Amino acid sequence: MLQIDYESRAPIYEQLVDKIKNLIVKNVLKPNEQMPTVRDLASNLTINPNTVQRAYRILEENGYIYSVTGKGSFVSEKLDLIKEDQIKDEIGKLKVVIGRLENLGVHIEYKIKEGVDEK
Amino acid sequence: MIVVKSLTKKFDDDVILNGINMNVKKGSIYGIIGPNGSGKTTLLNHLVGVYRQDSGEIVINEKNIYDNADQKQSMAYMQDEIYAYPQYTIKNMAGFYKEMYKSWDDDRYKKLKEIFDIDDKKRITKLSKGMKKQVAFCFALSKTPEILIMDEPIDGLDPIARRKLWNVVIDDVAKREMTVIISSHNLKELENMCDTILILDKGKSVIERSIEDLTQDVHKIQYVLEKPELEDELIGWLNVISKEKMGTISVIVVKGDWKGIEQKMNEYNPVVLDKLNLTLEEVFIHEMEGLGYAIKNQTI
Repeated sequence: MLQIDYESRAPIYEQLVDKIKNLIVKNVLKPNEQMPTVRDLASNLTINPNTVQRAYRILEENGYIYSVTGKGSFVSEKLDLIKEDQIKDEIGKLKVVIGRLENLGVHIEYKIKEGVDEK
Repeated sequence: MIVVKSLTKKFDDDVILNGINMNVKKGSIYGIIGPNGSGKTTLLNHLVGVYRQDSGEIVINEKNIYDNADQKQSMAYMQDEIYAYPQYTIKNMAGFYKEMYKSWDDDRYKKLKEIFDIDDKKRITKLSKGMKKQVAFCFALSKTPEILIMDEPIDGLDPIARRKLWNVVIDDVAKREMTVIISSHNLKELENMCDTILILDKGKSVIERSIEDLTQDVHKIQYVLEKPELEDELIGWLNVISKEKMGTISVIVVKGDWKGIEQKMNEYNPVVLDKLNLTLEEVFIHEMEGLGYAIKNQTI
């Protein structure tokens, strides 16, 4: 389900957080679905269980998953938060492209609605 | 919890360990790295209570380890070289360990044998280096240890055997919070596997830090300034470990918080600014260079 790039310079927990966020945002992992256990995921990827634990902790802090004592971790139902996060992310990417175009001398006027960000 | 304080050991007049400090949390995977002859194996031999220190302390679960037979029962030590009686088969040796250790578990031994595809009728002295390692690993894990200590465990193992070994370790760490201490020169694998790294040099602990702090506190930065004459001024603001120049491009290795560094660099209008996290191998080499292990242009 998940692939880790062992050669990458990005820390493994960070890669895990990004990949899982992506799966949640794309609705591959659905609200209230149970996440793999730390042990299963660690064995599956051959990585330190404490690294998986750390990734899960970050995902929980960011509201992507929640944990139920004795049962494990589940995908959050608060999709609004997640969507907002995704919008910010995509707008960020868009701004990079706009910046590049402006560097090439293309003048761009734009407006982003929905009240997330405006220019 | 394993705590080592100011551990010192001399053999004759040679100081092998010189004031080592270590803190290993329960359930963590702790890596020890260092140049050849830096004292790694001697340190491990102290941790399992084979050697007695000249001074300092080794406290495991709040008790001194030397002469503590009970604690030793719950520890497994996979040495770099497995010792076996010349005529002994793997099966004979397993029987020997079963007698020695109360916690030996026949079911686990059987499962491990299957995982590593071990034919226990073979004589240990006839096995290849990699096979010996796998057998030693099976023996160590059959004790269901609370603390597993491994000296160069993956040296000589093929990629599949390495995977198998790690998977068994991971399972035990996740399932029952086994504590693992590993010495190795394979920095890439340690980087992926360990929580904490200890760097040894000439019998001293140079650094003991979590892997994140080690690799994310140091950055390799490539940049070109709009006004190259301001370069010395910029460098003055940063904690630069090393500096190289390739034409107009500067490459520096800097310690510190990335956000602060980035902000400072942006004040000098860089035309190009790229950051790379360092790998453990690069961190190790930079730290060792700082200690006088510079890699010179070597020709013979």
